[in-house]
Amino acid sequence: MSFAPQATAPEDWGLRSRELGRLLSRSALGDRAAFKQLYDQSSSHLYAVILRIQRDRNLAEDLLQEVYVNAWKAAASFDAQRAQPLTWLTHIARNKAIDSLRRAQSQPRFESVHHEHDDDDRPDLDQRLVDEAPGPAALLERACDARQLGHCMQDLSAQQRQSVALAFFDGLSHAEVAEHLCQPLGTVKSWVRRALMTLKACLERAARGDSAPDDAMGA
Amino acid sequence: MDYARPVLADALAAQYVTGTLRGGARRRFETLLPGHPLLRAAVGDWRSRLMPLTSVVTPEPPPAGTWARIEQQLWPKTALAAAAATQPWWRGLAFWRGASGLATVAAVGLGALLANPGPQAPPVVVVLQGTEAGGPALTSIVASVSGDGLSLVAQPLQPVAMAAGRTLELWAVPPQGAPRSLGLISAQGATLIRRDKLPQALLDQRNTAALAVSIEPAGGSPTGAPTGPVVFAGKLQL
Repeated sequence: MSFAPQATAPEDWGLRSRELGRLLSRSALGDRAAFKQLYDQSSSHLYAVILRIQRDRNLAEDLLQEVYVNAWKAAASFDAQRAQPLTWLTHIARNKAIDSLRRAQSQPRFESVHHEHDDDDRPDLDQRLVDEAPGPAALLERACDARQLGHCMQDLSAQQRQSVALAFFDGLSHAEVAEHLCQPLGTVKSWVRRALMTLKACLERAARGDSAPDDAMGA
Repeated sequence: MDYARPVLADALAAQYVTGTLRGGARRRFETLLPGHPLLRAAVGDWRSRLMPLTSVVTPEPPPAGTWARIEQQLWPKTALAAAAATQPWWRGLAFWRGASGLATVAAVGLGALLANPGPQAPPVVVVLQGTEAGGPALTSIVASVSGDGLSLVAQPLQPVAMAAGRTLELWAVPPQGAPRSLGLISAQGATLIRRDKLPQALLDQRNTAALAVSIEPAGGSPTGAPTGPVVFAGKLQL
């Protein structure tokens, strides 16, 4: 089978993923007890993902409720051959969260101690980002511990990484990332675009390398 | 814009999954998704690439009342009763929503139409409507079971587009217990399933509550139970 990221065969899934997949299948068959278990095992993750994007806790809870109502109704359309269960659920959660954002929300999102336009002692961007408790950049660092994705993140420039992290983890639009990094919109757009293309190319390379008997060095 | 161009589809899907596709463009993209397999595949790829990033977000337990609210919204009556016994899937709300949302699931005895004058029981026809899981393009599959329950013909009203390596599998769904496979059926035309493949007393409603069709890997479900989405379903009514 040629490389496709979704092509992970069910037998290769981690234990947790298999369990979630089993619960999701049972939910598709109308098993409410299984659905409750699915909720117990995934809601903390989804709630955290939503909260990073939609920081209003009441709204975030409403969104989480919508996510699981949708998941129950759509469980039959989950295709274990094509997606991992947590990926599927997380995608629903992120979509809900992103759709809940309004443009006007861009300003108060960063209660950073730094002055936005204080050029004189504006700390280096990396520093600003890591200062935000578990900020997007710090999360990306942690993600870098994880398998190929982390390896591929190393191929990105610092600016590309920051842009992707802000957009992906915190749900910032291009314009908001640009504002946050004090960079022109066009520049940020191209950082994000190139970062994604670099990631894609790296992940595909890695997958091809992994499927080789040893590694690609001898080629 | 020409969404059929692979490069553009891929770029849009990347922005969509990353979350930077916003506003009208995002809504337009979502409207287009169901009708564009290329876009859907690209979104699936990007989802698989990027979602692992979220694995590092520190989990945060939701407020204690959230589950109760979900239950209340999904099952308003039984949630109050609290003793939510597990329901078989064909009685589940979600399962029938797709099948019966537009038209009541039809099951029609065609005895009169076929004008079979013999002493045999008339054949029973079950119309399996496309479910939500199958998307809007699906029509129906008609399954006709001979009156004696010894043979079954299943035929899509229109050919069903299938991805490579996928096949349709027909299931008899009993009132209790697991669905039983009746075998693979053609997505293009009629499939005859003979008596040796059919369970005993298929047409007894104590044995069969509904027929359903799921999408499975080539060769059929590896587990003996439906693994893919259920894309057609129809109740057996005698």
